[in-house]
Amino acid sequence: MLSTVITKTFRDRWRGEAIGALTLVLLFLAGMSVYRDIDLSVYTDLPELFRSLMNIPADADVGALAYGAIYSSYGALTMAGLAISMGSASIAGEEKNGTMGLLLGNPKSRSHVLVSKAVNIVLLTGLGAGLLWLGGIVVPAMLDVDITGIHVGALVLHMFAIAVFHGFLALAVSAWTGKGSMATGVSVTVMVLSFFAVGLLPLIDSVADGVRAFPWYYFSGSQPHVNGVSWGHLAVLAAGTVVFAGLAVIGVNRRDLRGSNLGTSIVDRLREHPFTQKVVNRLAGSTRVSRIWIKTASENQGILIVVSYVMFFVMGVLIGPMYTFIDDALISLADAFPEEVLALFGGGDMSTPEGFYQIETFGLMAPIAFMVVTVLIGSRALAGEEAKRTMGLLLANPVKRSTVVLEKTLAMVVHALVVAVALFAGVVLGSVFGGLGMNVVNIAATVLLSMLLGLVFGALALAVSAGVGKVRAAVYATIGAALVFFIANGFLGFAAGLEWLTNWTPVHYYLSSDPLLNGMNWLHGGVLLGLFVGLVGIAVVLFDRRDLRQTG
Amino acid sequence: MSSKPAIHTEALTKHYGDVKALVDLDLEVRPGEVFGFLGPNGAGKTTMIRTVLDEIRPTSGRASILGMDTHIQSVAIREHIGYVPGDLAMYPNLTGRDTLTYFANLRGGVDWGFVEQLADRLDADLGKKVGDLSSGNRQKIGLIQAFMNQPELLIMDEPSSGLDPLVQREFQRMMREVAADGRCVFLSSHTLSEVQRVADRVGIIRRGKLIAVEEVAGLRSKAIRTVNLIFDEPVDGAVFAPLPGVRDVAVENHHVTLSFDGPMEPLLKAVAERFSLLDITTHEADLEEIFLTYYEEAEA
Repeated sequence: MLSTVITKTFRDRWRGEAIGALTLVLLFLAGMSVYRDIDLSVYTDLPELFRSLMNIPADADVGALAYGAIYSSYGALTMAGLAISMGSASIAGEEKNGTMGLLLGNPKSRSHVLVSKAVNIVLLTGLGAGLLWLGGIVVPAMLDVDITGIHVGALVLHMFAIAVFHGFLALAVSAWTGKGSMATGVSVTVMVLSFFAVGLLPLIDSVADGVRAFPWYYFSGSQPHVNGVSWGHLAVLAAGTVVFAGLAVIGVNRRDLRGSNLGTSIVDRLREHPFTQKVVNRLAGSTRVSRIWIKTASENQGILIVVSYVMFFVMGVLIGPMYTFIDDALISLADAFPEEVLALFGGGDMSTPEGFYQIETFGLMAPIAFMVVTVLIGSRALAGEEAKRTMGLLLANPVKRSTVVLEKTLAMVVHALVVAVALFAGVVLGSVFGGLGMNVVNIAATVLLSMLLGLVFGALALAVSAGVGKVRAAVYATIGAALVFFIANGFLGFAAGLEWLTNWTPVHYYLSSDPLLNGMNWLHGGVLLGLFVGLVGIAVVLFDRRDLRQTG
Repeated sequence: MSSKPAIHTEALTKHYGDVKALVDLDLEVRPGEVFGFLGPNGAGKTTMIRTVLDEIRPTSGRASILGMDTHIQSVAIREHIGYVPGDLAMYPNLTGRDTLTYFANLRGGVDWGFVEQLADRLDADLGKKVGDLSSGNRQKIGLIQAFMNQPELLIMDEPSSGLDPLVQREFQRMMREVAADGRCVFLSSHTLSEVQRVADRVGIIRRGKLIAVEEVAGLRSKAIRTVNLIFDEPVDGAVFAPLPGVRDVAVENHHVTLSFDGPMEPLLKAVAERFSLLDITTHEADLEEIFLTYYEEAEA
């Protein structure tokens, strides 16, 4: 039975893992071929501080740069993300599908099921790591790049360890609570916070040592691609993984399995309390179901709140004062700072508050935040209702298919607006608290462009969802496209003769005009808006044409 | 009320790749009737329903509901129909009342007095979240949403699944009331006893082809009785087979069972001439036997 469960889960999941790893290898190929052609002299003068932040060794060469930029950041985050999705789905997913009872109807214990799920996280992450290792060896050989001194195996081994660590964290939360979304939320939060802590804390002397408290440090802190395997760091990650495994076994055995019963939420209690009944009933009841878009927007509130909060407080309010801490150290180094290195993180001049916000908040985090909410709605809006078999019932009412698509789009825009308001307010307050005097109109312009970029990717997910009716396809296609566009935009800008290609990535129309300094670029905003509208139009046409799927 | 056919299909065909889910289906369902749509699992019942609801598009042929083209006028059609999908799923986080409000809003309102009445008759709990309801109780919410706008045509795919016998009875009464009101019920089912009780006519579908459409009353009279004969000595079955109206002869020593349609007299005469008859019982075949007979014939 152990092997049966492992085989089934492996069969369900290996494609996602393989596609993720192969996409990264392709990006690596693109990255390395660009790095091969550029003048690397700018890197040799880099201050040590930045090299450590960007994972660039002192004797930076083509190989080190490519591995550092693609494998250590995007690669590790993607691998850990895939492991988290497996860990979250493992126990909670089977409970949600109602298959857990069926599985346990066989003469095997809960621990057995859990262990087979855990083995799968290890096996599948191993598969991804194996592909990345293979790509890491084959690509330089193809491009004739010398990678002497680069420890590809060590880097991939560290990636494997950090990914399994996060996968098991998700597994433990999933086993204790039976809630997949909570497991994903907790694990992704840990991952993102620790990723940024490892990038930021070393910049501030007084708290630099605090970085050891974050798991990501034990992945990248020792620079495994340059220095080889750090067995001590791997041991820390392995110990954490074992602890999570133990917690998962205890967790899954101690609680009642979740049946179809949904439990009682705070809103349910408020709906029953005579004091709040009237108002809450109206909001959670009649208002919520008054229109398709309101009902859609009322879903995924938890994620919307978390994302808005993080963008408001962590990436907005906190960044301003933090800039004042590290300001002096940076200004003196400003001249030595090559924009090429930072291009991947949105570019920007770190010696100015605008540049600092651009790198820390707007470069990567803001688009990701917008994408989380827009892609979530976009991918599920149509395909999700089909998978849950409610689309037939919805369309038995006198509403056009195009109306359904447009109302779902409206819900997506509303969620993006909530994040935009939170981000705008956070950055304005951060500027005020840090005494940075940033231009409020320019902040609004940057937030608007960021939101439009997020909506473009949300609409892409919607179009795929409308065309093929599969949530997973929509999510994977959109994340894949986003990775390609972001990295291409980062690299192509300084590849001689290829700069013009960046015009073909939507990401180019986001920050290339430096909106934090120069204000709104209406042409760029128009391009993004046009893409968004065009993709929604495609979604309407595609959804109108095809047969509804009967099951997911 | 419309005088146009409730459902009309002409050579309706749907292929999924090589699989022929519907083949040249010609069907007319009339206002004022309960039409039972019978067939085993995978015969094409759900495909037919999903096609006329414009959820999926026919490979060839056309269909209309209340005189309107199912594709071109699909939105207008949906103002006049109620639908219960097979394998019903709804939004687990909404209460029954929220669910009904949602669909009522999409239709521009509903008579809540009538909804309460329906909930009463089906003994449905509208206050609980749909996800917390048992499958039978969830099914009741699905039935209410289909009935609540008093549509001219109700299309229901295996609607009684999970309902207890008392609620099933009430549900059958509700269907008869719709027909009595001059409206129409299209009931897909493999539960023959239910169809036998409520339907005026049945269509029988097999491997995507409509193999018969019959009045339930006619079907019953047409078919057939089952006759049991007991003799004082073992008999030879071959004697019975050539007699007019006799089918499916089964002999076990003294005991003969056969299906029979036609006048009784020749049968009795033939039997009495040859053997000494101890006992005879006959009963009317139920729909199930008729149904199986149809299938066996089509199979042959």
